[in-house]
Amino acid sequence: MPYLSDLEKSGIPTVLVVFNEETEKLKHDSRIFGVPGLRFVVASRNSPGGVDEADKLVQPLLDALTRPLTKEETKTGRWAPKQPRVLFEGTLEEAEEFYNQTEQIPRLLGAPFSVFTDGLPVVIPIEERVERMLKGTRHKAEEVIALQRDVKTRARGAFASVEVAPVRKKGEIVEFMPMYRTATVEQVAVNAVMAGCKPEYFPVVLAMAESGGGTGDGRGGGGAFVVSGPIYKEIGMNVTNFIFGPGNPVNKTLGRVGSLMWRNLGGYEETITTITTLGNAVTNGGLMFAEYAEGLPPGWLGLNEELGFKKDESVLMTLPMMGAWGMGQQHAPGVYRSLQRTGHGAMARFLGVKGIVGPHNYLEYLIKDIWATMEGGFTLVMPPQIARDLYDYGFKTKQSIYEWIWKQSFEPVSRFKMRGAQDFITNGWLAIEKTSGKPWRELADDYMVPAGGDDPFDDYNIIVINMEETAPARFGGGHGLGFSIDAWR
Amino acid sequence: MAGRERTYKCLNPVGNQEAVDLHPLAPRLKSIDGKTIHLSICGEADIWVPLEKQLKRDYPNVNWTTKKRYHIVPWELSDEERKTTDAVILGVCW
Repeated sequence: MPYLSDLEKSGIPTVLVVFNEETEKLKHDSRIFGVPGLRFVVASRNSPGGVDEADKLVQPLLDALTRPLTKEETKTGRWAPKQPRVLFEGTLEEAEEFYNQTEQIPRLLGAPFSVFTDGLPVVIPIEERVERMLKGTRHKAEEVIALQRDVKTRARGAFASVEVAPVRKKGEIVEFMPMYRTATVEQVAVNAVMAGCKPEYFPVVLAMAESGGGTGDGRGGGGAFVVSGPIYKEIGMNVTNFIFGPGNPVNKTLGRVGSLMWRNLGGYEETITTITTLGNAVTNGGLMFAEYAEGLPPGWLGLNEELGFKKDESVLMTLPMMGAWGMGQQHAPGVYRSLQRTGHGAMARFLGVKGIVGPHNYLEYLIKDIWATMEGGFTLVMPPQIARDLYDYGFKTKQSIYEWIWKQSFEPVSRFKMRGAQDFITNGWLAIEKTSGKPWRELADDYMVPAGGDDPFDDYNIIVINMEETAPARFGGGHGLGFSIDAWR
Repeated sequence: MAGRERTYKCLNPVGNQEAVDLHPLAPRLKSIDGKTIHLSICGEADIWVPLEKQLKRDYPNVNWTTKKRYHIVPWELSDEERKTTDAVILGVCW
């Protein structure tokens, strides 16, 4: 969209082919980029014949380039929406009704859509509550959210082969998507109050805001986050059993605030300011948890150190490309224990170590066929015992595990070509394949390439939590970017 | 209940939108004959396969130029290419 606006501003007429559900977003974005009347032609996603559909588009496309401009299309002006600091005055009951109001969005078929919330009732952000929240940081209320240190971004997944990841500089103002808005510390505090956070959680919320507030490229869904470092204990995050379940107000409200920042700071409005598909059942309602670094085997780094911070620093990591949940072979926790303690059970049979006491490489069982129907890496959340067994087996660092798993994912180019996202990931096979340094289309069919992502560190992650039961959680992801929580204290 | 009758100032959770200068559309072409029209194709090929063929077949007097990319962000025209380009058709298909 910025490209089309720039072309129009430079005197080159344009027209965009869009799909039906994208038209409202197009109108919206064209205003953000300063040319509100961008012309477009609507194509169907569902018409059966591509040739017939193309026939229908030819004349409208050429018409859009040649039809004289209307008076409306020649207008100039300035779009400068202002947001008042005080949004509502009234009793608490009236405020509850106001903040929980919904709107009608035509494409949602009349289903109500919350104007200021994630769909659940919120704590009303009265001025006094926001003032209390602001006591959770030394940063001033009017300070605009900006990067607290240089951030080296990483091109990932579908973008890795065709994009250069820039280094974003300390002091860069953070934009919240999809509307490229900015926010002050106070505006973040308002959202934190609404989510139910307490002032002592606020540095974590501000680090979330620095990371983009879970707004992503506009389709962020509120994001998914992990905390590493001592703050988990200070504020009472659950790092033990049921870490992904309800009950702990810290994990729960911190996870929730991402959805509110997406809606309010970013301006997310489904089918109007952004187009999503189905959403993510895992991150719906927020996903926030913390690492239990005390459970790491000797030599294994905590997330904070892996991301370049110190061991005693509290850090927020964004979970990238949160995808499928429960990946890899399923098993009962006791089957795992039988493998390691006595060499019995299904896993022992699978690994051919029946009757032999562990440690055994449990990962060989877990990743069997894991890339059969998916590509890319994943995150393993595991209790200290599984981590210790892996350490005793011979994985003296986390990195050695990332590399071992990644190497298991190699397959011939001929197989890789049959995967669903590879035209996109390889830019039509024109991009450079990393392990060979050659364009994808020059590689022989039997050349081995990784189905499990481009980089062992970026695409894999191991997070240790505190639990005696020997059950891991597995989900799409890897290492995201780290943001200092301490910088926001 | 008395507390609920008190009125409160409630703050705004919405972020700040930067002001934007609004521009008109570029003047349209009087005719496409003899013009250079650029096809900026990004995303999956989808209907662009027949569409590109039909445009080139039915309008041979147009100098069609093309850049294709599977990414959703198109390859942009260089400053030099812009000097010789009269119009752009851009399409993202998934």
